[in-house]
Amino acid sequence: MKESRLCSEWDRAKMLPKSNELQKKIIMVSTIGGASEDSEAQRVNVTYSDLTPQVCFKIKERRVEIPIPESSIRVTIKSSGTAFATQEFAIHQKDISFVPVTPHILSLIPDFATSTLNLKWSDNGSVFPYGLHALWQIQILRKEAMEVVTQVTYYSKLTHEDVILSWNWTSDMPLECTSHYVKIRCYINATQYVGPKDWSDWSPAEVIPGKDTEPGGSGVFPLDPVVAVGSDLTFCCVHEEDQRITNMTYGSKSYTMMKLSSRSHAIRVLNASVSNSSGTNVVCRLENGLEGSVVFVGYAPDIPQNLSCETSNFLIIKCTWKPGRPSGLYGERRTKYSLFERTSGKNVSCEVSEVNKDHVCGFPVLPDQKTYDFVLGVSNPIGQAQSSLLVDITQRVHPKTPEKLTVTGNNSTSIQLRWFINGSFAEVRLLCQIEINSSHSERKLHNVSTPGRKSSTYTAQLNALHPDTKYQFRVRCSAADHFWRWSDWSRGVEQTTSEAPPARGPDIWRERSPSGESLIVFWKPLSLSETNGKIVSHEVSCHLLETLLEHKVVFEPSNRTEIKLGKSDCVISVVARNQAGSSPPSRITSVELPSDNVTTDQAVAMGNGINISWDSYPNMTCGYVVKWCHSSGSEPCIVDWQKFPSNTTNAVIKSALFKPGVRYNFSLYGCKSMGYQLLKNVTGYMKELPPKTAPNFIVEETSSDSILVKWEDIPVDECRGFLKGYLLSFAKGEKDALKPRLSESGNPELKVNNITDLTKKSMKILDLQGKTSYQLELQAYTAGGLSPPNSLYVVTKEDSVGLIIAILIPVAVVVLLGVLASIFCYRKREWIKETFYPEIPNPENSKALQFQRNICEGNKTLKTLEMNPCTPNSVEVVETQSTAPKMEDTEMMSPAAETTVPEDGCDSEMENHVVVSYCPPIIEEEISNPPMDEPGGSSQVVYIDIQSMYQPQIKPEEEPAIDLATTAGYKPQMQLSISALKIEGHSPVEEELDKTAGYRPQTNTNAWNMGTPDSPGSVESNNENASFGVHVQLIHDSFYFPQKMMKTLLNLLIQGGPSHTFFRTKQMINSGSSLHMNLPSE
Amino acid sequence: MKFVPAGVVPFVALLLLQRRPVAGRALLVTGSGCPSHSLCRSNVQEQTRRQVAVLNATAQELFSLYLKCQGEPFSSESDKLCNPAGIFFPAFRVNRTSERKEVMVAMYKLFAFLNASLGNITRDQEELNPMAKELLERLHNTTKTTRGLISNLTCLLCKNYNIFQVDVRYGDSSKGKSAFKKKQQGCQVLRKYVQVIGQAARVLLPHLGPS
Repeated sequence: MKESRLCSEWDRAKMLPKSNELQKKIIMVSTIGGASEDSEAQRVNVTYSDLTPQVCFKIKERRVEIPIPESSIRVTIKSSGTAFATQEFAIHQKDISFVPVTPHILSLIPDFATSTLNLKWSDNGSVFPYGLHALWQIQILRKEAMEVVTQVTYYSKLTHEDVILSWNWTSDMPLECTSHYVKIRCYINATQYVGPKDWSDWSPAEVIPGKDTEPGGSGVFPLDPVVAVGSDLTFCCVHEEDQRITNMTYGSKSYTMMKLSSRSHAIRVLNASVSNSSGTNVVCRLENGLEGSVVFVGYAPDIPQNLSCETSNFLIIKCTWKPGRPSGLYGERRTKYSLFERTSGKNVSCEVSEVNKDHVCGFPVLPDQKTYDFVLGVSNPIGQAQSSLLVDITQRVHPKTPEKLTVTGNNSTSIQLRWFINGSFAEVRLLCQIEINSSHSERKLHNVSTPGRKSSTYTAQLNALHPDTKYQFRVRCSAADHFWRWSDWSRGVEQTTSEAPPARGPDIWRERSPSGESLIVFWKPLSLSETNGKIVSHEVSCHLLETLLEHKVVFEPSNRTEIKLGKSDCVISVVARNQAGSSPPSRITSVELPSDNVTTDQAVAMGNGINISWDSYPNMTCGYVVKWCHSSGSEPCIVDWQKFPSNTTNAVIKSALFKPGVRYNFSLYGCKSMGYQLLKNVTGYMKELPPKTAPNFIVEETSSDSILVKWEDIPVDECRGFLKGYLLSFAKGEKDALKPRLSESGNPELKVNNITDLTKKSMKILDLQGKTSYQLELQAYTAGGLSPPNSLYVVTKEDSVGLIIAILIPVAVVVLLGVLASIFCYRKREWIKETFYPEIPNPENSKALQFQRNICEGNKTLKTLEMNPCTPNSVEVVETQSTAPKMEDTEMMSPAAETTVPEDGCDSEMENHVVVSYCPPIIEEEISNPPMDEPGGSSQVVYIDIQSMYQPQIKPEEEPAIDLATTAGYKPQMQLSISALKIEGHSPVEEELDKTAGYRPQTNTNAWNMGTPDSPGSVESNNENASFGVHVQLIHDSFYFPQKMMKTLLNLLIQGGPSHTFFRTKQMINSGSSLHMNLPSE
Repeated sequence: MKFVPAGVVPFVALLLLQRRPVAGRALLVTGSGCPSHSLCRSNVQEQTRRQVAVLNATAQELFSLYLKCQGEPFSSESDKLCNPAGIFFPAFRVNRTSERKEVMVAMYKLFAFLNASLGNITRDQEELNPMAKELLERLHNTTKTTRGLISNLTCLLCKNYNIFQVDVRYGDSSKGKSAFKKKQQGCQVLRKYVQVIGQAARVLLPHLGPS
């Protein structure tokens, strides 16, 4: 039983080889059981299948190491002690697993700045054959809970030697934030081993404790990191156990915190943007304080652009470049540069300020080295870059600015320059350029090539300079053989060359004085390039053959002199003199040959000059001279001339003194051996301008249809060109200061006369209108344009005959028409009378209206009513009782009555004399019954008003008086429109109306409108007036007018038929009399 | 004159004597007493008062610019970040009624401390903020003024009271500290400086004012 238990404690599958005995030993271990210290001793006999001697082990441990058999072994384990047990079994090689020994971590070193762990371990390769492949599995764990962060497999090859392997891992979380652990195990791929192979056990975990495990450890981590733009960052805040964290901010932004441990919290910032120069602050706010860190986010350095190296002195090579994008990192985090030369292996660091834009680095010139292979290294905490340049320094020479430039050895045409260049140029030739500037010549460059020397002075000789000229010199240099760059220009120096005699004699001309007794000699000043110094004087001499007639010295600045020759002639010689000597003489003869038929031509302006042409004169052997004056005629003028060879027939005379619009007179002389002959005169303008002033003109004569205008010539000075003609414009127009010029007025009647005949000084304008104001404008014109206009206003004379005719003809026509009309009217007088003035009966002849005389006493001409010859019916009601007090009763003075009074009053009636025909009248009866509350028994005055049959022709509100005036009179008879009548109800009277409609009274009903439209009474009265018939109104309560009697009265009126006279009843309040029907009261 | 806190190594500063009372121009006195020849120019009192006035007038602007250049949250949370409670700053326990000698000594200690602190701050900002030209210029100018002020105070102490040795305590150097700590320390010193310089100007007026 014990044997059996013992045997089971040996696990044949767990035969582990020792690391250094892979081929020799296996290890049998018991998977169960305690330590072997206290166990009883065991005896293990191992018998190999081959003829290897049996091996016996006496062990106390529960393990034994035995050589690995070729094929199999037989193992017998005997246990000694109090109990005895024996176990015997066979082990085959293929059953033995190969499990490497657990690797041992040699070191785990943290780099907190970069959050990097460095792991080192030994591969124990010495115990394995060469070339075995080994796999190493490394596990990173984090936090106290040892959460697996990552697990990576590392590959290596065993070399039969013990090799220290190293592996780095960068954490995304600062190592200070929390503890990090590392474990490792291995797998050896022993290909020749037939048994199964397995991973070793994990090594014990190595730990990098976080700050949160340190007592008193606190702060924000990482501390002052430098990271690239776009990085994802983790910051943690480690604090004391008893502190509570409030929040964490990155810059000004607050982030969500992750708990790492009870003392550590972290935030994650994604895609960090570039920070300012002082960095971005990360702040952790605690209940009783705060912690912080600064992160610097920037860019890795750019590759340097445009790297260029050159030397200015063969002592230092200066390399320059452009840095590209700024890194955004400053101070100790700034980008640093170093210059490495590969050939020599020499390295120099470059002090380049981040603030300074010039990126320059110096490298010493090495002896006996011409070619330099430069590598410019650039680095900052985020990254690095480099740029290289291979350069032959002898081809990159940029000398320094030449110094100490001086002038030596001065004469009139040459000088010597000296300058100094600092540097050792012994190995190259220098090419120096001398810039020569003078006031009267263009800039010139003179190149000088000279062998280079070490910090030496260089010289150059400059010849062909001009005498008496102030020169400015400066120098720059470069390498002659391989040009790279010029140096800067040196400081300039000035030097004036000494004088020399004038180069030639002056250009001369002569003229006889007007008296002919003396000769005036002119000469032109020499040009600056010919004077060779300052001209002091001119010497003029006059020789007749060999005899000197006169000699004169004329000092500057005079350019003319007069020689009294009388009538004789001589040869004139002029010499210019300066401090250095005299010029060769210029000669001219005073002889002037006579000339015939000298013409005067006009010259043509050409460009800035005046073109003069002439015929070829074969006998002019020594050329031509064109002479002119720089004024328009008045002496003395500035004489100028120009000489031309014999073959010339054309010349454009140019002068800076020529002005546009000025007339110049030229004289062409031909030169013969005997003297000069005037060939012709020419006048011309450099440029023609419009005349300066308007021509003066006057109106010489004026008639009714013409104006005679006269004008004067414009002075030559004001012509400013050759006069081409005049423009005379005229049009009708009154004198008005604001009126525009005729030519600008756009007047369609404007007429323009162009006068090109310059000899013509007057013009008659015909076909004008008499007694009309005309505006005249006169302008002269040249090729340069029109002069300003001169205006006049002229009124033509009146045409009397036409006026008489214009009066007489209308008068005659009127008289004739009058006569004809008279004759016509006389012959047709009957017809006219019948048509326009039919005979109207005189109402005065009517007896029915005789009472009117009594009513309207005092006005005998008044006829109240005139009637047609038809026999009128008269109804007269006269109240004889005194009713004056009652007439003045207030009830009588109703508004309607008041408004009725003036119209119907006598005065009004007198002014509006109405003659009406009434044949027969159509009367509508309307009776106004008195109100029931009226006091009974009182008498009434009834006014009977007969209204027109016509529809009212004007609006009711119009004045009645106007109605009378406009509608009264004789009107044609017409049918009354029934519909126009406003009749209330169908009374028997209406029926009568229908029957009797036909002949109607000729008046306007509105003329009888008694009431004002606005008054209450008028409304009623209007209605009543609209009715056709008798208007009955109660005017006095003392008269009672029974309805029956009223009807009787009306019947009387109606029954009158066509012979009844139509009349109106008037109210005669003022006069105290009235037309009334006096009826007895009941 | 002895107010050196326990645990702090006292720093004995030699008084700097000046030939001319110009800011920043001073000579180190190597002897054991004040020199017998003329120490100060006649207007040294007025000049000292004006120097303090200049510092007082520019202190707040310097502090504001400093905060601005440190980035957030220094500007927005200056009360919390720049609380000077945790740093050393020389006590300035004099008032207008204090003895003039006592005032002069307190002034000397104050500006000697400030001169050193401003030097540290300038150095740190040159490293952290080389692009902040205006801040650096103001720091340089303020440091120069304090240096001149120290010279003038040295002169006055020596001339009037024959004091040529004053114990001065300086604060912790920011060298080796993290960037955040450097920023914070500068901020704390400048904030305290703003508070104290106003008090100094007020105290100094009756003592150095025009008589």
